[in-house]
Amino acid sequence: MDPTTIIFILIFLLTVLLSATAVVPLSIAALVGALLTAWFGLQYRVFGYNDALGFIDMRLIGLILGTMIVVEVAEKSGLFRFGALYAVKLSGGNPGRLFVSICVISAAVSMFLSDSTAMLLMAAATVTIAKLLKYDPVPYFLSAAIMINLGGTSTLIGSVSNMVIGVGSGINFTGFISYLAICEVVLWGITIFALYLLFKSRLGEKKVLPKYSPWESVENKKLFYRSIFILTLLVSLFLTLENLGVGPEAVALGCAILALVLSGLDPTEIFKGLDWETIFFIAGFMFVVRGLEKTGILTDVSMQLFQLTGGSSLKTTLMTLWSSGLASTVVSNTAIALTFTPIIGGLPSLNSAPVWSALVLGTNLGGVATPLSGVVCIMAIGALKREGISMSFSEFTKVGLITTILQLGFASLYLIMRFGLGV
Amino acid sequence: MNNLVKKWLESRKIKSESEYDEEKRKIEMAMGKPFITIKVEIPKGFEGLYNQFLSLEKDEQFHEEVKDLVKKRLMLEKRHRKSEI
Repeated sequence: MDPTTIIFILIFLLTVLLSATAVVPLSIAALVGALLTAWFGLQYRVFGYNDALGFIDMRLIGLILGTMIVVEVAEKSGLFRFGALYAVKLSGGNPGRLFVSICVISAAVSMFLSDSTAMLLMAAATVTIAKLLKYDPVPYFLSAAIMINLGGTSTLIGSVSNMVIGVGSGINFTGFISYLAICEVVLWGITIFALYLLFKSRLGEKKVLPKYSPWESVENKKLFYRSIFILTLLVSLFLTLENLGVGPEAVALGCAILALVLSGLDPTEIFKGLDWETIFFIAGFMFVVRGLEKTGILTDVSMQLFQLTGGSSLKTTLMTLWSSGLASTVVSNTAIALTFTPIIGGLPSLNSAPVWSALVLGTNLGGVATPLSGVVCIMAIGALKREGISMSFSEFTKVGLITTILQLGFASLYLIMRFGLGV
Repeated sequence: MNNLVKKWLESRKIKSESEYDEEKRKIEMAMGKPFITIKVEIPKGFEGLYNQFLSLEKDEQFHEEVKDLVKKRLMLEKRHRKSEI
């Protein structure tokens, strides 16, 4: 291995280490990595200036920005809060039904909201209802975190890592649904069942739910209905994308502009609410990975993976699923998606659909195995601490690991059956 | 070593505490547990008791006293309404 490649590997590892340990903010870690990549890449002529200008995939940034703007408008309308309050109301104070409601609505809102925003909303709703009914909030809270991580695995816009994989693989919105929707539905079911069994004794007695109207949380009904229209339009256009002859980024940005116009909200307020940390992290990390790609090391990794699995779709799929799943328990799943995408893209002639599906499942499912795994865990523990409720590392890890292994186990079976993978 | 790990874990805390509080406020309001937030400035002539004044914000006993005051005030409102009817 030549010294230049070693330098780029070290830059990559440094970026991963800084991101995983959160010694500095994620965006800073990735941008420092990008700066070092640019400096050494240009200095050692690994790539030219014009090459470097194309390292950041603007289609991906466009898709993320567009989706974020549409969702931010919907969030400001109170749509997701309304959904959460409505789900709680439907439970009627029955702890079992309340538990299932919280699990389902957590996964459902995270199909659109970023994990951190979904956690913020569900944490507030869960703590409030648990306090009102004098329930132990931990089972509800932890289950919400696990379901938020699981939600949205099957859609292109369900998580940032999905968008990375979607743009990198060329799998569109309908492709995601056709490959993963059934798996997602069953995963919701078995995860809720497993969590219910784990927490059954701690859910509390049946109580009378205070009377309230979820509409109380909606300040602007016009904006509320307009947000539903724009979200429906976004999903409909994604579903009919093939007939439009444009990429998902064009649809997302188009709907974002429509959302800004129709909402009547101050655009600066919307822009302030966007997750710029994630956008800069993706841009920086993508630059680091593209630099590494230019050294040829990722092509070598692809070839070695191919040789290791003997070109077997089954082995490659399972290896991708478990390695990305386990890596996501420590490193940001977006970073894993950005790193694995060129490796899988570089695999020689292979049935790629199951491998991409495995990457989607692996990067998403590994996110809540331990309190260190991802943003959802940090938010969940932080919110609990703010409420004066302590949860031990081992308690979180026990539930997180059981559900992660269960989910990865089922995902393995699903992929084998869905794609008819033989040895 | 354990302390170091604990410190590091604590540093990874919730980033937007104010956003969380705001979300919680909206949900509590909608769920029929309305509350009010009042800004109280340090009274004139008590500037020397700056720290004691600030500590009232987290003083449970003081909170209970304020709650009692609210109850008394609402009780009076109730009586006043009854007498009007």
